[in-house]
Amino acid sequence: MRFGTLVRACLWMLAAVTLLLIYGPLFTTVFHSFFSRRGGATDWSSFTFGWYGKLLENEGIRHALVNSILVGFAAVAVALVVGMVLAFYANNPNSRGRGVLEAIVFLPFVMPPVITGLALLIFFQEVDVPRSLVTVTIGHIVFVLAIVYRTLLSRLQSLRRSLVEASYDLGANRWQTFRFVLLPNLKTAIVASAVLAFALSFDETLITLFLASGESTLPLRLWGMMRVGFTPEINALVTLIIILSTGLFLAVARFFRRT
Amino acid sequence: MALGQSPPARGGAATDSLLRWAWAVLCFALPFLFIVVPILAFLVQSFFYVDDGEIVRSLTLDNYVRIATDDSSIPIFLKTCRLAAEVMIVTLVVGYPIAYLLWTLGERTKYLLLLIFVVPLFMSYIIKIYAIRALLGRSGFLNQALVFTGILDQPSTAFLFNLTAVKISLALILIPFTILPIFVSLERIPVNLTYASADLGGNDWQTFRRVILPLSAPGAMTGAAFTFVLAMGDFVTPQMVGGTTGFTFGRIIQSQFGLAFNWPFGAALSVLLLIVVFIALLVAHRLGRLFAGPAA
Repeated sequence: MRFGTLVRACLWMLAAVTLLLIYGPLFTTVFHSFFSRRGGATDWSSFTFGWYGKLLENEGIRHALVNSILVGFAAVAVALVVGMVLAFYANNPNSRGRGVLEAIVFLPFVMPPVITGLALLIFFQEVDVPRSLVTVTIGHIVFVLAIVYRTLLSRLQSLRRSLVEASYDLGANRWQTFRFVLLPNLKTAIVASAVLAFALSFDETLITLFLASGESTLPLRLWGMMRVGFTPEINALVTLIIILSTGLFLAVARFFRRT
Repeated sequence: MALGQSPPARGGAATDSLLRWAWAVLCFALPFLFIVVPILAFLVQSFFYVDDGEIVRSLTLDNYVRIATDDSSIPIFLKTCRLAAEVMIVTLVVGYPIAYLLWTLGERTKYLLLLIFVVPLFMSYIIKIYAIRALLGRSGFLNQALVFTGILDQPSTAFLFNLTAVKISLALILIPFTILPIFVSLERIPVNLTYASADLGGNDWQTFRRVILPLSAPGAMTGAAFTFVLAMGDFVTPQMVGGTTGFTFGRIIQSQFGLAFNWPFGAALSVLLLIVVFIALLVAHRLGRLFAGPAA
């Protein structure tokens, strides 16, 4: 038993060190959005919200933020519709080629993002579509589709057959059954996959790098800024994004715990 | 329970089967156009070549010959494979015990801690690299701590802009990707099995070794494969923390689509990447099944 306690102590140590390494850098960044450094040491008298104000004045960042939100909403909306149609298709045992369809949908999620990005880039070039926020959005749809599809399909499969049979027995047609029986049951799954997909889109960098031209999204903008150097302004932006994404995550986590 | 099946068909059987076909075509159309066709276009592009800044659309094996013969492609490819394998092993060796520890905790603490470990999955990837870079940098926390404790006389630049920095960053970013699938596969193990093992006289170690480890192996392999794939194809992390010595395969590919402007060559390099990725996924799948073998 003594040996078991020792092992557990080691495991806890490992977990603690890992957490410290993962979160340490993030906390340091948040910290430096309020305090600046002077000569390699923290200047404790420099506490300020000023960098957050500076951020709001930054035209480029505001623009990139709006782009990111637009792309995110558009990608989520389309992915939800397509994902839903595909989930219904896959849920029907009579459908042809369900396995093939699923494999195709999962491809962009399994392949390295570089390949998804450059395949789409080459495709758009061949069909003569110039790079824009539209191509970025299509890239994001392709990427998040697997998540939306999987979440919706899992929920559909967990519903009992009798639900739909009862609806038909009571004289409802297909549309009514979808609208009044299935949709209400899918509601939480739809919301959860939408939030998840939005978060993925908001953060997507590697595919976007291939598909964006002049108009950039927030991660691309951040990347550009970081290549130039460190400023407290970036730290402020980073802090805001950390808060936002943690919030989104907790929302999704609540859903998945309930199911 | 599928929508399309239960109500009796109102039209004839012919219209119904026609509708079913139309429905199938509709469902396949978009994924085919935006996933399959681009991948085909990219595969075909790898047989094109560039002449005078223009892509020439006639088929050649030149790109593949160049990969096999030039003195940078294959060495960097192997170097990157090794890097990705090392990152994968580190995340597995650290991630598995953590996932196991979490799994053994009580209901409430278990999920709370799991949440804390996987929240970073949601945090911007660029931000994580930025934060890690700040940590490893000359005036970063690591240097300050080492100077403060007297281990170093003055801040060192050795922690940033090299291959080690790339490995550290990737491991830190990817570890939640490993913990999550392992935890999920541990959760799927029926408690009865561990009781049965104890009843039959197995001690904790034997139960772990003979029951838990084999049953969670498929999840561990999935996590490891994903880590490998993501580490293999990344090009932003190496660029941000790797400096000139941290040149990886992903970076060469990306440069073909940027400054070097040789899309066909970049596509050919990516085909190589794709092959390795599928081999990795296949091996992970087989290994998972192999370990699970008699226990599953």
